[in-house]
Amino acid sequence: MTVAQIVFILLTIVGLGAAFLVVTTRNLFHAALYLIASFFAVSGFYVLLEAGFFAAAQFLVYIGAISILFIFATMLTRTVRGMVPRNSQWQAALFIAVVLFIAMVAMFSPISFSLPIRPDRTFGGVEWQFAEIPGKPGVLRSVPDSSILDFGRALADLNQYGIALLLSGVLLLIGMIGAIWVARERKPREILAERARMAAEEAAEAARQSVGAKIPDVVVAHDSHH
Amino acid sequence: MDIINNLVKNLGDGIAAGIYGALGQGIAADILIMVIAAIAVFAVASGGFAGLTYAERKIVARIQDRVGPNQAGPYGILQPIADAVKLFTKEDTTPAEADFWVYHLAPIIVAVFATLTFTVVPFAPGVVGTNLNIGAFYIIAIGSASTIAILMAGWGSNNKYSLLGAFRTVAQLVGYEVPMLLNMLPVIMLTGSMSLVDIIERQAGWNGSWGLPFIVILPLSGLAFLISGIAETGRSPFDLLEAESEIVAGFHVEYSGMKFGLIMMGEYMNALGVAVMFSVLFLGGYAGPILPPYLWLVLKAFGVFLVLMWLRGTLPRVRIDQLLNMNWKFFVPLSVVNLILVMILGKVFVSDPALFKANGGILIQPLAQALIMGASSFALLMIALAIVTRRVRKDRMAEAAILLQRRETNQQIAASVH
Amino acid sequence: MRTDYAFIGVTLVVACALIGVVPILNYLIAPQTPNKSKRETYECGMETVGDTWVQFRAQYYLFALIFVLFDVGGVLLFPFAVAYNSVNLWGVIVVSLFVLTLLASLGYAIKKGALNWE
Repeated sequence: MTVAQIVFILLTIVGLGAAFLVVTTRNLFHAALYLIASFFAVSGFYVLLEAGFFAAAQFLVYIGAISILFIFATMLTRTVRGMVPRNSQWQAALFIAVVLFIAMVAMFSPISFSLPIRPDRTFGGVEWQFAEIPGKPGVLRSVPDSSILDFGRALADLNQYGIALLLSGVLLLIGMIGAIWVARERKPREILAERARMAAEEAAEAARQSVGAKIPDVVVAHDSHH
Repeated sequence: MDIINNLVKNLGDGIAAGIYGALGQGIAADILIMVIAAIAVFAVASGGFAGLTYAERKIVARIQDRVGPNQAGPYGILQPIADAVKLFTKEDTTPAEADFWVYHLAPIIVAVFATLTFTVVPFAPGVVGTNLNIGAFYIIAIGSASTIAILMAGWGSNNKYSLLGAFRTVAQLVGYEVPMLLNMLPVIMLTGSMSLVDIIERQAGWNGSWGLPFIVILPLSGLAFLISGIAETGRSPFDLLEAESEIVAGFHVEYSGMKFGLIMMGEYMNALGVAVMFSVLFLGGYAGPILPPYLWLVLKAFGVFLVLMWLRGTLPRVRIDQLLNMNWKFFVPLSVVNLILVMILGKVFVSDPALFKANGGILIQPLAQALIMGASSFALLMIALAIVTRRVRKDRMAEAAILLQRRETNQQIAASVH
Repeated sequence: MRTDYAFIGVTLVVACALIGVVPILNYLIAPQTPNKSKRETYECGMETVGDTWVQFRAQYYLFALIFVLFDVGGVLLFPFAVAYNSVNLWGVIVVSLFVLTLLASLGYAIKKGALNWE
């Protein structure tokens, strides 16, 4: 087994274990932290795939930004601790997840994973030399990563990803506008209407639960007659 | 001379050769070498932390006309050791309601990720933990992990002030990450690489370039990077996260003993990291005449840190609304405008004949190109400052007018009562 | 290349070991006499009122969101910065337009007062 394989197995255990804990833990903040651990494992996978830039991008965007957004959102919307997560649609969610998983396996299984892997440099030792800086013996340039260069070139080219880049900018703008609209200051009348709606929903929920709870009572009463 | 210049490199090479001789070429030897190098990186970072706490206390004391630590050893030079002994023997109180693992892991994460910053810093030619081709980007990415650790500390302590302090801190840290990122981009554009070694060597003048540090060519980027770096590490005058008078001590109010020490260590290492990054990106890193390269890096980083100490010793703390306004309404727009200016200037005025042949533009001497960029960047800075000064003055005048009016009303009321 | 990152992994492990030992040493060396008032939440001597984990203001969310916006934009700009020398003026203009879109959303947020600290 190579070192890369051992690291891969460790990362898989961390990533899947953390992902499992995300959905099972009752504490929303802990769930967010497990999610971060899972993101960390994913960025390790990027390193194993020789995509260092995307590993760092994963770290910066997901661990440094998106997860903070998650934590802020959970803390802003509801009480974080002691809340029993109530998900009445978990059967549907499970069904969709299973279908998507099967679809993904079906999609990827025809692809051969035995890609020709470039012979790696020996671990740490012999081949540190790549290109010396002219006139400075011993000072090594970093390995120029042609994929980053190509990506950057493609982003600035309208025939390649230029349009996509501009569209993503517009998408971010729309997201910003939406968030500002959601977090806008409401008029008192709107707030009251919303509260009334929420109270009505809660009452309906309580009524439904109490109906469910009464059924055994009736059964017991019925039994006692005999 | 060569022996002194390559001292660190030869030492490292010697140790590596010795290990390969003893264990043979193999994975065990590789891992052993890396562990030794990792310990060396950790030693540099934590040694810097110990030295800087002493230097900072002594120098800030002098600025404020005090003596500073002077009991432990001659000139109080053993003060860091005394501090460590004290923190190690302090009782470590944990709040009863704390979230155990979150509370205990937060300081460790702060310190570990602060250490990881130093893995890509080139200390001398050939002496670098690992010369990543995404070095500059990696440092920004690793730096963003401290935000999570601060949220963990604030949450785990189960204290309102901690959580409030953590929220404020995160609002500050994530805000100032943006100008740091944006002001790194011009440097990378002019170098054509994110590797810190390439950035240093570019400033030292290979590839037919100017041989000028980037602070001359990109003064605005340099200044904005430094200021947002200070804010990013939460140092005075941006130390709202530990404003004792407002939110007790922020997110680390419940930490004591060595866990508090670890948080401090992480903060100092991050501040040192910003000083080193500024020296590498804008002052030419280890490049310099006469003195050996590693000494140049230490001198430059310490010089930058001296500025940080000077600011800490003299400036009052800013308010959080001022801090956030300064970032979002001044630094970020200014950095974006500067970025676009550099992008377009670099395409219009070209110094490399090969690039001129490929893309066109106006072919000029490299020095002239550097001067044009530096002058326009400086001019942009001056214009922005003039606009802000006028704006702030207007706001102050409006505020003063309101106060004056209020006082007059009060006097009229007082007069009518009599 | 991933061997470049091996050193970062090794440093992560070494730093975790060296730093993780510190609180344990502290625990072993220092006296441990906890009592009820020591373990109370510190609020300058006041009694703690209510739960810590209360709702926070929506404004924090907006700050985080506009940060995400610039973060994602910045990540896309790094490869462009590396490729800057091999891009012509038109490419620079495309990327400038993208950056200006980001600036426009910042301007919108400022104009709506979303970034005013109250």
